[in-house]
Amino acid sequence: MNLDAAAPRLAERGWSGAFALALRLTLLLALILIVLQSALVVHARPQDLITGVYGMADIIRRATPPDFSAIDKIWWPTLETLDIAIFGTVGGVILALPLAILAAENVTPSRALYYLARGLIGFCRSVPDLVWALLFVTAVGLGPFPGALALSVHSIGMLGRLFAETIEHMEMAPIDALSLTGARRTQVFTHGVVPSVLPSLLGITLYRLDENIRSSLVLGFVGAGGIGFELLSAMSLFQYRLVSLYLIVTFVLVIAAERLSALVRARLG
Amino acid sequence: MLRVRELTMRYPNGKLALARFSLTVAAGELVVVLGGNGSGKTTLLRCVTRMLDPTAGEVWLGDTDLVALSGERLRQARLPLAMVWQQANLVRRRSVLANVASGSLGRHGGLWTALGGLPAEELDDAYAHLDAVGLAALAGQRAGTLSGGQAQRVAIARALAQRPQVLLADEPVASLDPKAAGEIMRLLRRLATTENLAVLCVLHQVEMAYEYADRVVGIRDGGIVFDLPSRDLPRDAVRQLYLSEAA
Repeated sequence: MNLDAAAPRLAERGWSGAFALALRLTLLLALILIVLQSALVVHARPQDLITGVYGMADIIRRATPPDFSAIDKIWWPTLETLDIAIFGTVGGVILALPLAILAAENVTPSRALYYLARGLIGFCRSVPDLVWALLFVTAVGLGPFPGALALSVHSIGMLGRLFAETIEHMEMAPIDALSLTGARRTQVFTHGVVPSVLPSLLGITLYRLDENIRSSLVLGFVGAGGIGFELLSAMSLFQYRLVSLYLIVTFVLVIAAERLSALVRARLG
Repeated sequence: MLRVRELTMRYPNGKLALARFSLTVAAGELVVVLGGNGSGKTTLLRCVTRMLDPTAGEVWLGDTDLVALSGERLRQARLPLAMVWQQANLVRRRSVLANVASGSLGRHGGLWTALGGLPAEELDDAYAHLDAVGLAALAGQRAGTLSGGQAQRVAIARALAQRPQVLLADEPVASLDPKAAGEIMRLLRRLATTENLAVLCVLHQVEMAYEYADRVVGIRDGGIVFDLPSRDLPRDAVRQLYLSEAA
């Protein structure tokens, strides 16, 4: 809240200057209290950061130089990480698209389906991908497959919402014009709606792929394969030079995916 | 070709937009509807196309009363009725040719067109329609790159791909410069004559009505004020039509 801006507005409403000032101070105090209680709840101990420096320095010393001799062991987990993200994104798109059509107010065939689709999308989104991964690890066992399933389901929530919003915000006049030529409902969708929103949907999908690559790294920590799983194993065995190699690969992977996604999205725009 | 009989439209808020409005547009005839803002012009076109359901009255397209139909039967019956809007309303990311060919979709069912394919047998016709509006050279260009006048001509070509008998135009030159506006009106005039189309065009440009229309209909408060051949239309009658709006 902009306190300086709020005061004149209050004055315009006929509130006295003293009251407006008191209100501003109260709001400021409330903000400070909120920040203080958060520091208390998380047991913030700045002194530990200073004493912890020695521990961090020790880990960095033991992690350098990275163990490049293990580079041949890293290709498979890297491919696994990428494929978890690709499978998760494609699976998410396939399931999110029909749901998004039902969940877009301007094209949904019925109100009941609209609420049902919105509910499903909301549910998929509200459960974090890490929790989905734990559930799928329990269901289908360890490995990359539960990770891919987790990303698929979570992506339904994220993509479904963004796809639906894109469809809702598209220009409807060309769609109405096409309807009036006598085109059937499916034709209006494929010849009017799809070409109008496809670049945006592709952009969203690429952004999601980029996010899923990052997520797939973390999912390995709960047994869902990929670099994350290898990273956790190396840390458990105190192989810090291997850990630093995995971190370098992770960094390269994330940056490459981000740049590639941004490049393609810029061309689509 | 198009007969509107006793068409009445009262909006849910109680406003009477059309009051027992009757009008006939014959094949080969270009009829211009003039009237101030809120006079009922656009409501008339929306009721004729059944984008709005009129409160009472009939809209005869040939031997079929569109008001009596709904659903698939309405879609089928409405195929000979094409519409050009104030904005071209093209699908901007598709090619010009694809936009024109999409006007023929109503005649083609099947999986191919449902999946987004264009009916191959219609492409030559679509190209010919583009040629007729003078834009064959732009067939492969994206519709979003066209100027306002070019886009409006493509919209007319799309309407032609529908193989219409009646063409409705809702202020088709409102957002165009005078040169492009003249081109569009000449095109509509030519189509009425050469293609034997019944053209019903809502306009604000009085001079264009005089220049291109066979008949001019004046509308105020949803009712007809005059319906005269353009050559017999007194300037004073048009002035009164707009003066009453200003008052």
